[in-house]
Amino acid sequence: MYDNEFFVVDMASCSSTGEIINSLSLALETLNHSGKKIVLKLNDSQLNQSQLLSIQSLITSYGCILDTIETLNEQTAQVAQNMNILVQKPIEKRVEDKYHDDVNQEFKTFSMNMPSDNSIAVKDVNGLHFEADLDEIQRRQDSININSDLVKAGINPQGTFSQVQQQAEAKYSSVDEIQNINDTFMNSSLALDETENLAKNSIGVYKKAYDENIPEDDTWEEVDFYETPTNDPVVSDSKNTTYINQTLRSGQILESDGNVVIIGDCHPGSEIRALGDITVWGVLSGIAHAGCKGNLNARVRALKLNAVQLRIGNCYSRRPDGTNIPYIIRSSIFTPEEARVVDGEIMLFKINQN
Amino acid sequence: MAGSVIVITSGKGGVGKTTTSANIGTALAHMGNKVVLIDTDIGLRNLDLLLGLENRIVYTIVDVVEERCKLKQALVKDKKNPNLCLLAAAQTRDKSAVDAEQLKDICEQLKQDFDYVLVDCPAGIEQGFQNAVAGANEAIVVTTPEMSAIRDADRIIGLLESKEGVEKYRLLVNRVRPKLIKSNDMMGVDDVVEILSCDLIGVIPEDTNIITSTNKGEPVVNDEKSLAGRAYMNVARRIMGEDVPLLDIDEPTTLIDKIKKFFATKKAQG
Repeated sequence: MYDNEFFVVDMASCSSTGEIINSLSLALETLNHSGKKIVLKLNDSQLNQSQLLSIQSLITSYGCILDTIETLNEQTAQVAQNMNILVQKPIEKRVEDKYHDDVNQEFKTFSMNMPSDNSIAVKDVNGLHFEADLDEIQRRQDSININSDLVKAGINPQGTFSQVQQQAEAKYSSVDEIQNINDTFMNSSLALDETENLAKNSIGVYKKAYDENIPEDDTWEEVDFYETPTNDPVVSDSKNTTYINQTLRSGQILESDGNVVIIGDCHPGSEIRALGDITVWGVLSGIAHAGCKGNLNARVRALKLNAVQLRIGNCYSRRPDGTNIPYIIRSSIFTPEEARVVDGEIMLFKINQN
Repeated sequence: MAGSVIVITSGKGGVGKTTTSANIGTALAHMGNKVVLIDTDIGLRNLDLLLGLENRIVYTIVDVVEERCKLKQALVKDKKNPNLCLLAAAQTRDKSAVDAEQLKDICEQLKQDFDYVLVDCPAGIEQGFQNAVAGANEAIVVTTPEMSAIRDADRIIGLLESKEGVEKYRLLVNRVRPKLIKSNDMMGVDDVVEILSCDLIGVIPEDTNIITSTNKGEPVVNDEKSLAGRAYMNVARRIMGEDVPLLDIDEPTTLIDKIKKFFATKKAQG
């Protein structure tokens, strides 16, 4: 429910006045808001009277009225009050609910970050591409190559293993003891010095928030792996959404720097990577990575969530063993679900379940 | 002591390379060896499915080669047996993502830590085959008692012989149906061995359990009742150097046959 009169523009992520004006003009241009009262969310940025005046005149030029400013900064609040603009403090929110609040708020919210390029690319080994500009695909692939450089391999595992072995042999005389050391080394999968710079992460089973039944044959153990941590999370531009009206088949990757909506199924062996949310209008059986640059607020939704792996931000989870749905009976059992991160674990919720 | 690298190949598709790899790997690990399975069928991977490890793969062999992760990060440990690891193939790439030298390198590294490195080879004799064979010092050629599979196996054996490094190759005859052989509708194992003039490492009977085990993602060797499972177990023993007689795959069907066979074995033992 939102009031038709008001329109909230979220500028919390903008730091400079230039950015604010740029984003604001984009927001106002995109949709028709003439006659509406604008609620401007400014977070902490400090604005003087002339800056605020220029923002006001910009809004007036689009036929709107700057009604309220939401700010933490006291100086900005003071200036705004002098200009007869209402001032309010931002409401504290729990991080995990942020997304939902946006939808359920009194006002319609238009979240705005700096625009990024809207390119998408579907890579296919057979050279088949979806309807997208070839130049854009090239650009996108270039950026993928750059991204892959972020993750770098270091020390030669073999060398380190023999080092460990040699040390063990020198230290312990009995064969059993050496065997133990070897076992510990093998079981940990990586020698200690190799894991420096790497974050330990594990893949647990994704659980349903409304149904605690896990099949008996799942051994429940978490699979450890090591990954290079992403230093600064990149949040997607919520405006940028890619629609694909096609079944995603094994071996195909869909990458997007916004949200992705797929009208069709995602077969096992396919992969979707998006900076934002992933929505599948069909059966999701491949790998889905929402918020793939560290955004833990991203979500994965599908009419049937049967994903081999669900990844949100740096949270990884796998399908419980023995729950794979055979191809034949799948369509009769649609239960729309949404996956989100709760306390570092990926949980499945029924759509609209809190 | 460095382990041995065994490539499992066939030339023709659909004769059971991947099933053989999964089962021999599981059997060897079951007997206390450290085993790593490498899936080199990039783009058409299946080995992870047969082992039921599909949902645990984070990094693949392509990530290792392209240095996005270290070799040990990419090894997926088996659900049941910690001695067994899988290095999965990437599904979203093709065979040209890896070259022979890189695979040889990976095999060399894994050899240091594992007793057995089993390489599951893709069908065909192109790049995928060349990659898989590069690091191997032993080969198991899988064939079925059909002319087309035997022709392809013959071609593969020829290629293996000309390959440096492959010291030993042995034949595994898969999907044998004793009934059809009896009625002269299928080539006998002896005939296959004679045509290919190659050492035999095992004979695996056709078994419906294979189909169910593939769907469940659990190798058939875990099922002690399955005839094919026992046959694969024997193959694993032979790989370890034990001298195991060929399994009697002539399964009696009727009760009278069973009784007859029971007395026949008693007599033989006595």
